[in-house]
Amino acid sequence: MMTPWAGMVRATAVFDQWVRDPVDPRPLAWFRSWLGLLSLVNLWLLWPDMPMWLGNDGVLPPATHRELMGDTRISIFMLTGYSEAAIGLIRCLGLAGGFGLWLGIFPRCAAFCAWLAAVSYSWRNMDILHSGDNLIRIGAFFLIFARTDGVLSLPHVVRRWFFSQALSGSQPRAGLVPAWPQRILQLQLCILYLAAGIWKATGPTWRNGTAVGLVLQLGEFQRFPIPDFFLTPVMSQLMTYGTLAFELGFPVLIWIPKLRLPVLLAGLAFHAGLDWVMNVQMFQWLITAYYLLWLQPRRDASSDAS
Amino acid sequence: MKKNRPHIASPQRSRGLQESLLPRWPTILVASYTLAAFSWTMPASMFPPKPAIDRVAGGPLLMLGLWQSWDMFSPDPRTADICVEIQCTNRDGTSDRRMLTDMVAMGYYERWQKDRWRKYFNDHLRLDDERSLWQPFAEYAVRRLREEGDDPATIELIRWWRNCDPAFSPELRADVRQTPWQSYVFHRWGVPREWGR
Repeated sequence: MMTPWAGMVRATAVFDQWVRDPVDPRPLAWFRSWLGLLSLVNLWLLWPDMPMWLGNDGVLPPATHRELMGDTRISIFMLTGYSEAAIGLIRCLGLAGGFGLWLGIFPRCAAFCAWLAAVSYSWRNMDILHSGDNLIRIGAFFLIFARTDGVLSLPHVVRRWFFSQALSGSQPRAGLVPAWPQRILQLQLCILYLAAGIWKATGPTWRNGTAVGLVLQLGEFQRFPIPDFFLTPVMSQLMTYGTLAFELGFPVLIWIPKLRLPVLLAGLAFHAGLDWVMNVQMFQWLITAYYLLWLQPRRDASSDAS
Repeated sequence: MKKNRPHIASPQRSRGLQESLLPRWPTILVASYTLAAFSWTMPASMFPPKPAIDRVAGGPLLMLGLWQSWDMFSPDPRTADICVEIQCTNRDGTSDRRMLTDMVAMGYYERWQKDRWRKYFNDHLRLDDERSLWQPFAEYAVRRLREEGDDPATIELIRWWRNCDPAFSPELRADVRQTPWQSYVFHRWGVPREWGR
C-alpha cells in the first residue's frame, strides 16, 4: 500500500507532468479568439460612458481617486498621468487587443494591449467593474505568454490563400506548445467556482434555500420574463441548492475525463439560464471562453507525426 | 578530539537541486499562482493561512491586475430593491428629476448597456461608507445639466428602496410588485452661482 508521503510524491509528479507536457495549441487559440471577440463587445458597451467613468471631469475626479486608491498598479495612467488622452489610449489598446486576439494578428502583442486596456480602466474606476472584467484581465495576461500563432489566425489564412502554391508541400502545421498558460487558466476556472461556492455556502439564505428566490425578486437584475412555474418556493430551493451543488461540484468533477463533457454542458446550460433571467452584462458569456480550454481536440495522424 | 565542522552544502548538491528545480519553473509558477489566487478569493474565516499568503502575494496580484473576487450574491443576496435618483432644482424654480438606475423601466438593450450604472450607483454611491463619492457626482451632474441648459441651484441625491418578501411567488417580481417605495435624501448641495463658471 502507498504511504501518504509516497502518495504526495506521486501526485506532485503527475501535476508536474500535466503542467510541463506540451499541448495542442487549438484550445488556447479557441479561448484567445472567443475572449478577444467578447472583449470587443465589452469595450463597445463601455465606450459611450468612458468620459463619465474615467475622465477628469467625470464622476471620479483625480483628487477623489487619489484618496481612494492607496497602491500603485500597472496601467496606462502611469505614462499619461490623469489625462483625458488616457481614454483615447484605452480605446485604441482595447480595439487593437480585441481584434488581434479575435483574429490571431500578433496574438501575444494583442494580449498585452487587451490586458493593459483592462487594467487601466479597472484601476481608474474600481466601482464600475463586474466579474467579466476579472476574466478579461486574467485571461489576457496569461495569453501574453501563450503560443497560439498559426491557429485560428487571419494572417495565416491570408498567407495560405494567396501563396497556396508557394506553400504547398511545406505548409507549417501547428506543433505542440508549452502547456502552462492553459493549465493556469484551467485552474483559474476551478478557483472561480470553488470560491463562489464556498462564499455562498457561508450565507444563511443559501443554506435555507431562499437565496435564488430573493435574487429573482430584485428589479435591478431582472432581464427576460420567466414562466411563473419557476417563481415558487420549491423551485427557489431547487435552484439555490442546484447552484451550490454545481459551483462546489465543478472543480472536482471536471477532472474526471468521462464526466468532463457532461459537466461542461451542464455549465453552459447553467450560465445560459442565468443570462436569460439576470441582467449581468458579460460575465456569463466570458466564462464560456474558459470552458474551451477544457476541450480536447482530436489530433490527426500527420499532426501527431509533426 | 574530533571537532564538529559547520555543515556546508556541497557545490555539487546545490547545483543538483538547481538543475532539478529550474526546468520545473512552470510547475512552481502554476502551483504558486493557484495558491495565491485561491487565498485571495477565500473568506478569511474559511482559510486560516490567508493573511500570511495574501501579505506575500497581494502586491504582485494587485500590481499585475490579477486580483479577483467571486462573491456576487454572497454571503447573502440583497433583500431590497434599490434605485438612485438625482433631483435638480433650478434657479428659476423649475425642477428636474432623473432616476439613474430604474433598470425595470429601461428597455432590454439599455439595461444591459447600463449594467455598470447599477454597479456604481446602487452598489457604491448610495452607501454611507462611500460618502466621498457624493460631492464629486453632484458636481459632475451640475456640469452635465448646465450643458443641457439647466441652471441648478440645488442638487439632491435620493436613494429609493423597497424590501423583498421572504415568501416567493410570481406577484413579487419587481415589474409587477405593488409594495410602496421608501426614499431618503442622502446628499444635498446648494450650488454656488459662480461655481465652475
